[in-house]
Amino acid sequence: MSYYFTILSPTDVPLFNIAFGTSKSGGDGIARFRFPDTAQYMNQFIIHSSLDMVEEAQWMNGNMYLKHIDTYPPASAYISAFLTPSGARFLLLHQPPQLPSTAASASGTSGSILGGSFSASALGGGSSRASASSVAANPTSPQTEEAVRQFMGEVYENYVKTVMSPFYRQGMEIRSSVFRSRVTAAGRKWL
Amino acid sequence: MAQPPRHAAMLSLSNSNSNSNSNSNSNLSTASDSRQPAHLATASHSSTGLRVPSNRKTIYDRHLNRSRNAELSRASFAFLFAEMVTYAQRRVTGIQDLERRLNEQGYPLGLRLLDLLFYRTISGSTSSALSSSSSTSASPPNRPLRILPLLHLIHGPLWRLLFNRPADALEHSVSPDTPNEYMITDNDPLVNTYISVPKEMSMLNCAAFVAGIIEGVCDGCGFEAKVTAHNQPTEMWPGRTIFLLRFGESVMEREKVLERAGVK
Amino acid sequence: MSSSTKASRIGEELWKTRVDKVNAELVTLTYGTIVAQLCQDYDGNYQEVNKQLEKMGYNIGMRLIEDFLAKSNVGRCANFRETADMIAKVGFRIFLNIAPTVTNWTSDNNQFSLVFDENPLADFVELPDDGRAQDELWFSNILCGVLRGALEMVQMQIEAHFVSDVLRGDDTTEMRVSLVRYIEDEMPPEEE
Repeated sequence: MSYYFTILSPTDVPLFNIAFGTSKSGGDGIARFRFPDTAQYMNQFIIHSSLDMVEEAQWMNGNMYLKHIDTYPPASAYISAFLTPSGARFLLLHQPPQLPSTAASASGTSGSILGGSFSASALGGGSSRASASSVAANPTSPQTEEAVRQFMGEVYENYVKTVMSPFYRQGMEIRSSVFRSRVTAAGRKWL
Repeated sequence: MAQPPRHAAMLSLSNSNSNSNSNSNSNLSTASDSRQPAHLATASHSSTGLRVPSNRKTIYDRHLNRSRNAELSRASFAFLFAEMVTYAQRRVTGIQDLERRLNEQGYPLGLRLLDLLFYRTISGSTSSALSSSSSTSASPPNRPLRILPLLHLIHGPLWRLLFNRPADALEHSVSPDTPNEYMITDNDPLVNTYISVPKEMSMLNCAAFVAGIIEGVCDGCGFEAKVTAHNQPTEMWPGRTIFLLRFGESVMEREKVLERAGVK
Repeated sequence: MSSSTKASRIGEELWKTRVDKVNAELVTLTYGTIVAQLCQDYDGNYQEVNKQLEKMGYNIGMRLIEDFLAKSNVGRCANFRETADMIAKVGFRIFLNIAPTVTNWTSDNNQFSLVFDENPLADFVELPDDGRAQDELWFSNILCGVLRGALEMVQMQIEAHFVSDVLRGDDTTEMRVSLVRYIEDEMPPEEE
């Protein structure tokens, strides 16, 4: 599983972002997005295209953690969202690893990926990857939702520490290397 | 609610680049300008240049609840607050300007306190739940979606965090012309207790600072509002202050939509 | 009993019985707001911010001493060492609920350091990461002014400045306090 995590201000200014891979079931924590050359751009694009969904959910559901709110089939990407009460958005894009068969003949299966509605079982079933933990294999399972919730909660704690400083102003980029390392650690711990 | 926050320090990130792929998905025309995929590359990895002590202690090592029940001298607060008002006074043109400035200084505090309040409720506090409408104290707090839970959040948890007691009253305007107006009353505001206002400024209410805090909380939650502090002395409570909250049009419209949708 | 132990007891007793209290975070956040505002108004000229903070502290100190004397009911200190204990163990206890360590005396007993294990003013604070604040800003500089103002009202002219601060990445937070002179009774206190 590869992850792209970003924090957006209430006016959609990016405050922080980081890409990482799973550390579960032997993962090395390095992100391997399907289209490495354009991953950064694609990830941002996908995240931003989910904002309408976030805004819709934001006023129907008072939870801070909105769980998995959007899917982007062309990149088989899933988006989870967490809203701080002061209006910042934490968005996590997760992209399951390519199935071995897909890797072998990308052209053959990409059509079905594009057209398919990504059911969890299709992703989790069959391949050798499926033996991986549920977090890695199935982006919409309850276990994954819970792991992401824990991750978001831990990031939120560090976010609050950031914004409590009198020198922090809403909308300021978060540049602290300590903050970054805390997010990395939370990713390693939960994802 | 799409208004940019007043204090947003806009970053020099290039998120306004012309972008061939922009916005094919966005149907929110009002927000489309800020809705383009931003180029985050510039935002990342500019690592901090801050030095840390050899024990490596930073703000991230300090537990957020550490000072939760800590107390300090009331006089210290009064001295600091009086200096803050005096300093602000040197740089303004009149009472209104001074109140505006105090309001602006409170505003970012409101945003901070909001996040702190929710963090504390999430992190397994044993104290009462945040909003009176939220269920048990064990479940995570809900972001207020409607005006009433927001007002309860201010009247109760926010006031307790700041002043160790709830506010004294919460009222809705009775005038049909101003359904967007709400009032929170504090009979004896701490900020007025020690501040002796010069005669020529008898209209000044230093609680404008607290009004700014409230405004920050409202805005943070997505309820655009103007909040002002007004002297309403009674015989018993000479410092009695009414905080008048006036919610914006967009908030009132959303309120109707959510009402119909059954959102509490 | 040493003057330090005695002062500690007085301070703790006063804190428990004579001090009206408020939520500590309200004080912390208010002070943070003041400093951040100054940094904004003086456009990052941290030397000027330090100066303004010291001035604010001086104003506070001149008024705070009355409150201190009324609450503590302590008599005149016999020497500067006793004064130092009174500041650290009674004054700081009453107003900030801390008791910095008095240390690093010079041999003439005219200079000492206050070392702060805790500093409620600086809770939650991270200095701006602008390459200058950690070299130039003394976040808690108001305390230097408070000491100067308060002691001037009891006929002591002192000079105080921070020499280190954990916010700057130092291992300790230390303020250096020097007695300049005792002000003779016939001289009015200096005005700023």
